[in-house]
Amino acid sequence: MAKMKNKWIVLCSAAVTAVYAAGYITTADQASRQQYADVSTTPAASAVPAVPYSGNSGAPQTADSSPSSTPARSIYKDGTYTGMGSNRRGSIQVTLTIANDKITDVEISRFGMHYSESDVAGLPSEVLHNQNSQVTNVSGATYSTKAFQSAVQDALMIARNA
Amino acid sequence: MTFKQWIKSPKAYVAAALAVYLLIASLGTLDPKGLINGAISVGVSIVLDILFSLIEKRKRILPDGAAVTGLIIALILGTTTSWPEVALTAAVAILSKHFLVYKKKPVFNPAAFGLLMSVIIFGTGQSWWGAFGDLPVWMIGFLLIGGYAVTNRVNKYPQLFSFFAFYFVLQLLMGLYHAGDASDALRPPFINAALFFGFFMLTDPPTSPIKVKDQIIFGALSALAGSVVYALFGGLIYLFIGLLIGNLYKFLISRFSADNAKAKRPAVTSPKSY
Repeated sequence: MAKMKNKWIVLCSAAVTAVYAAGYITTADQASRQQYADVSTTPAASAVPAVPYSGNSGAPQTADSSPSSTPARSIYKDGTYTGMGSNRRGSIQVTLTIANDKITDVEISRFGMHYSESDVAGLPSEVLHNQNSQVTNVSGATYSTKAFQSAVQDALMIARNA
Repeated sequence: MTFKQWIKSPKAYVAAALAVYLLIASLGTLDPKGLINGAISVGVSIVLDILFSLIEKRKRILPDGAAVTGLIIALILGTTTSWPEVALTAAVAILSKHFLVYKKKPVFNPAAFGLLMSVIIFGTGQSWWGAFGDLPVWMIGFLLIGGYAVTNRVNKYPQLFSFFAFYFVLQLLMGLYHAGDASDALRPPFINAALFFGFFMLTDPPTSPIKVKDQIIFGALSALAGSVVYALFGGLIYLFIGLLIGNLYKFLISRFSADNAKAKRPAVTSPKSY
């Protein structure tokens, strides 16, 4: 087979690049919305260290828990909170329910990663068990694990008492 | 074959480009795990390839193709993948190269087959880290330089342009009609994956056609199948599925042309007895 001439290589490359550029521009709005989500959630979440729960987990209580002292100020507000965690491979949204400084429910409310959701299906129960955002890395699903962890931290940040 | 002859061969071009990418990406990510996975993947691929070649009593036992397969696998699998999974993925790829064959040539691209099976069997993640998916965007330039050199050497431009033209048109349509997630597909790390795939996997000579017309159909079919899988299911394996469909097309045309040639050949008459 004869080699393709340079002129045709340049022309075809230009045509392919033009089609790519058209697609890139067409999807710019969608991409910027995702980028906004990345900027607004991930840095905030990652800037905050994992917040260990110190409430009703059976762990040694602080002096504030003494009945004679003034009631301890809770770390979190009761309620249901959503958090987002994103990276280049997609995003995960989690919904946390907090009652009396305890994480009572965790669910993945939106899974937008380019991997299988089943990879991280066990992580919500780990959060419930550990009562913080620290979960074991799922081998082969590192990006999903990190996004999940960021999402939990993000939700905990929102739930924190000022 | 002397070293001078080998270095000018298509496989040497691909192997050199991929080895350079392995080094650049390892330095860029400051992660030695990629190099370790590379050594495991290439080592397992070469050893198994030599072993099978000896069993098959092949005349040419030069495992350069196996090294390329090993490098591709290492550059695509996440660097956190455990070494047994890396080794098994390489083993599956080499097994497919020697067992799923037609006229002594592999039917499926070994790396694509191994990686797809790896996801299905072991649930391995793919980061395409060797395509600089997590590094600055300008590093895509390395993919283009190496990619064009390799495509030129293997003489596969029609196939490459056909694939990218159809792939980008389909992504554009997906973007216009909000079907699937075209915005991701056209941006890092997915665009890195598509470029790496197009330049270094799609152009594999034994598993892709020679004729221009067949190359164009092969590229279009791979792009169409991959894009449909992406639009319907997302995920990361759409490119592999697209390529395997293209490989099947190549297998079918090889078989069809072989059958045709057999049919056109004049019937062998038995020698006259005297």
